[in-house]
Parts: sequence; structure tokens; C-alpha cells
Amino acid sequence: MFFHIVLERNMQLHPRHFGRNLREHLVTKLMKDVEGTCSGRHGFVVAITGVDSIGKGLIRDGTGFVTFPVKYQCVVFRPFKGEILEAVVTMVNKMGFFAEAGPVQIFVSNHLIPDDMEFQSGDMPNYTTSDGSVKIQKDSEVRLKIIGTRVDATEIFCIGTIKDDFLGVINDPTTL
Amino acid sequence: MSVEPFNKLVKLAARAFYDDITTKGDNQPKTGRSDNRGIAVVVLDALTRRQWVREEDLAKDLKLHSKQLRRTLRFFEEEKLVTRDHRKETAKGAKIYSAAVAATADGQPFGKEGEEKIKLHTHSYCCLDYAQIYDVIRYRIHRMKKKLKDELDNRNTIQEYICPKCDKRYNALDALRLVSEEDGNFRCESCNGELRAESDKFAAQEGGDGDDNARKRRREKLKSMLQNMETQLKPLMSQLDRVKDLAVPEFGTLQAWEARASAAGRAVNGDSSSNDPSKSSQVGYGGTPMPFLGDTKLYCDWVLNQAIFGLRLSNKAGLLSNAIMVEVAFAGAEGKEVDVKSDAATSLKVLPPWMIKQGMNLTKEQRGEVEQESKMDGSSATGGLSDDKKSTVEDDKKSLQARAMR
Repeated sequence: MFFHIVLERNMQLHPRHFGRNLREHLVTKLMKDVEGTCSGRHGFVVAITGVDSIGKGLIRDGTGFVTFPVKYQCVVFRPFKGEILEAVVTMVNKMGFFAEAGPVQIFVSNHLIPDDMEFQSGDMPNYTTSDGSVKIQKDSEVRLKIIGTRVDATEIFCIGTIKDDFLGVINDPTTL
Repeated sequence: MSVEPFNKLVKLAARAFYDDITTKGDNQPKTGRSDNRGIAVVVLDALTRRQWVREEDLAKDLKLHSKQLRRTLRFFEEEKLVTRDHRKETAKGAKIYSAAVAATADGQPFGKEGEEKIKLHTHSYCCLDYAQIYDVIRYRIHRMKKKLKDELDNRNTIQEYICPKCDKRYNALDALRLVSEEDGNFRCESCNGELRAESDKFAAQEGGDGDDNARKRRREKLKSMLQNMETQLKPLMSQLDRVKDLAVPEFGTLQAWEARASAAGRAVNGDSSSNDPSKSSQVGYGGTPMPFLGDTKLYCDWVLNQAIFGLRLSNKAGLLSNAIMVEVAFAGAEGKEVDVKSDAATSLKVLPPWMIKQGMNLTKEQRGEVEQESKMDGSSATGGLSDDKKSTVEDDKKSLQARAMR
């Protein structure tokens, strides 16, 4: 699920950036530092949409670096248990398959794939129904439900299922 | 509005789900004596034969301790089978209820003037909530089925993996770091052995060996459980189907029900010409009125209490077993037509002073007659009648009697 929230961060700026463009430098550095990171609490920071305020800088003893408290708005993405996501399959093996929904990696193990789909090894490993009408392979798009998340301080990993109503392949790359 | 199919539903559900419910607290020792399993069924069965009922009356009918009954009812309230209402009421409030009860019983209000109390008491009433019961039962069955089915398909369980070499365990959440570069299989972090999927926790408990067998056994067990459930709940489910399109009996809140019942009673009473005393007597056990749904059959609840299946007594047999003292039935609004079946014990009852109301429209002449007559009867209640202001309800009764004699 996506959220638009306000976060705060203490930015350290090198003295060489002091000058007319101090503010721009600060914002650029903020984007570089923050976008794409993941915190267990808020999820993945997708994009910064604005800077609310930059507080007074504090010069640190010995280094000359200055610390600015910065408040900024950003879009974050955090997966939840029970959430339905659409994801792209990245790898298929006999244990199941991995998929990505944006920055999130999701693993679907083979017992959470419908029983009528069988693993086919080979050049392009895939899961196929007995009549061959549905096929899950690399780059397939699937709709899945998250049934478990592992949230560490800096990463989020999910396991999903496609063994439920309305879940499964939504777009097959071979038919495109 | 047919109640019968819904009552059957309640009875089936009671036997299916609440048969071995014990409402005793956990701290109490379980002795044979305190074992009150099956009480839930008895109470629910009794409630199917009533509409709104005062809990004390129900307790008396079931020969249960009111505390015990209350505990059971509270349990049912939590289970959403029963709606309850508590209110502080005076004698007047109790009278409204009695009138309503009498109205449902036979469409005749009756006065039980002697039983009034001046104090406020909190009375609890309870009633089955059929609409909710229907939903509750359906939801319960749905949950049971879903749980078994989910377990059967291993749905929503996190896959576990085990290393056959070093017995190290992983689960699906570790998957990302287990994938090996070479073949894409899962490999143990410590010994690089290829991991094997552990099908479910049950198998895991029984050890790695023969986990396929364990899994199969477990599946069979679940399957038979599901089948058993289907067969055992079949009567209940078919009853649910039958009830599905029927209008649900709705009694409304206690107040609404009372108002409706007594209104209906008055309507019936207005045109009824039959006023024979055998029909108008509707006093239940110990003078407690019981409402009945449609038919006026009395069920012996104390018999039920011992064996769940009830003994059916006809109305008249019930009457015989009850010692009914007095029955005064006012037919019209004016109360001209009076049926008095008097017994010495009750008619001689001395009314307390608070019962005496002012402004009763009795003439002096009537009072005189009453005095005379009561002297002829040798009644002990006439002692205070020399006072003109003491015109009691009993006076009223007697004056009417006197008028009838004339």
C-alpha cells in the first residue's frame, strides 16, 4: 500500500557546498540518500514530493560538516499481510517462484501454487496446467496475495500465494 | 409468521453446538454434582416456547437457580442467540408485562392486584433473537468448514524447508538468501546441501523421515473430519435451507412487544363473548403467567429439566395441577361483566393501606351494601370499612359481586 507521509532526517553537508546553492545541494543529496531506501517502519521510500522545512544548521566540531534537520514529504510503499498485489515473475524453480512488485520481492512456494499446475524444468522453467492453457514463467505477470512479511530494519521480504479466487496469471508474455 | 421452523433450528443448533457447554467458572472444582452440561440445551428449548420472559419466571419454571440461569443466559447473550433487557420497574411495570403475557396466553388481561410491590426492582427479561440466530449459525458453520478446508489445502501456511544433511531449518521467508547461483535451487547456508520442502508442521513434528506418509495421514484425518461434520450437521443445514426464505419472527424490543401484545389482547378481548372461567384462567406454576407461542399447551419444564424431552400436558390438565384461587376477568372496558370464582383464602386477604385509592366512584349506598354483605360473609377484611375513605380494590370487587347478586 502507498502512503504519502512527512518524514524527518538530519542531513550532513560538506562545507564545500556552502554558498548560494546550499539549499539545492541539500535537496539533491536528500533525494540521493533517501529515495529507494527501505525502512522496516515505513516501507520503501519511492519518491520525495517536497521539502517542508530546513532547520538551522549545526557545525560539527572537528570536521566542519554541518547538520541540517530536514522535514520532507514522500511517497512510501509498504506491503501488508493480506494485501493483493500485481507482480512480475523474476525467477522460477522447483520450490516455487520469485516475483517483484516494484521494490518488493515476493516468493510464492510451490504448495501455494494451485495443485493443477506442475513444474516443468528445462531451458525456461515454468509452472503449467495439465492442458497448457496457463503458464507461469519468467516475466509473467501474476496477481498474488501476501500471506507473510519479513520486516527487517532495512529490508522487507514477502511470501505470497496464488491459490485463491481471482489470483494467478493476469498477463502472459508469450501471447503478447 | 411461523415460528415452528425457527424453533426447530434453535433446537438443532442447541444440540449441535451447545450440548457440552458448561457455564461453571474454571476455578470451581468439577464434581459430578456441579456438572451442568446440557443445561444450555434445556434453557434454549424452554426459550423456544416463549417470547419475552422474565428471567426469574423462567428460572422458576425450569427449577433452576436464578444465578445459574443468568450465567447461562449471559453466555447466550455473548453468543448472540438471546437478547436481554434489564429495567428497574415498579409494580406497575410488572403489571404491564403480566398483562402482555396474559394477552399472548389467551388474549385476556387479568388483574393480579394482590401481588404488587411498591419497591423498585431490577428485572431482567430475555428473548430469542431469531434473525441473529440464523446468521450466527450460518457463520459458525461457514467458519468451521473454511478452517478445515484451508488446512486441507495448506492454504496460508508458511512453507518450511529442512536440510537433510545438517537438519537446519528454514522457512519461506528466508527464500531470497537460500537461492543458489548455480542451479536456482535452495541450498543450506552452512553445508550447501540441497534443501527439502517440509510439507507441514504435523509432519515436521514426526521427524523428517516418511514425511510424505505423515502428510497423507493428516490429509485423510482432515478429510474424514470434514465428512463427519457434513453428515452430522446435515439436519441443521437442511433446516437452515428451509428457513432461508421464511419471514423471521420478530418480537422487537421488550417495550414494543409488551405494547403490541397487550393491544392484541385488548382487540381479542373486545369482541369475545365467551368468558367462561376455564378458559380465562391462565395462571402458570405458582401463579406465574407464561406466554405461549400460538398454542396454549403447557409444557412441564421441570420434567424437561430431568429428561430433555418434554411432557406435554393439555391446558386443562395443567389447570388441574395448579391451584388457582381467584380469577377476575374484566370483559369490557367498564368491567360490568364479572366472573368471580372466589376462594375463601384469597377473598379474605387483607389489603394493605397503600392499595386503597382515592376517588373511587362508589356511592354511599354501595358502600353500605358492601358493609352489610361482608358482615353476612363474616369476612375479617371488613374491619376497616367503617372509614368512608377506605374503598379498596376489594371493595370494588365486592360491590360488583353485590350488584351481580341483585
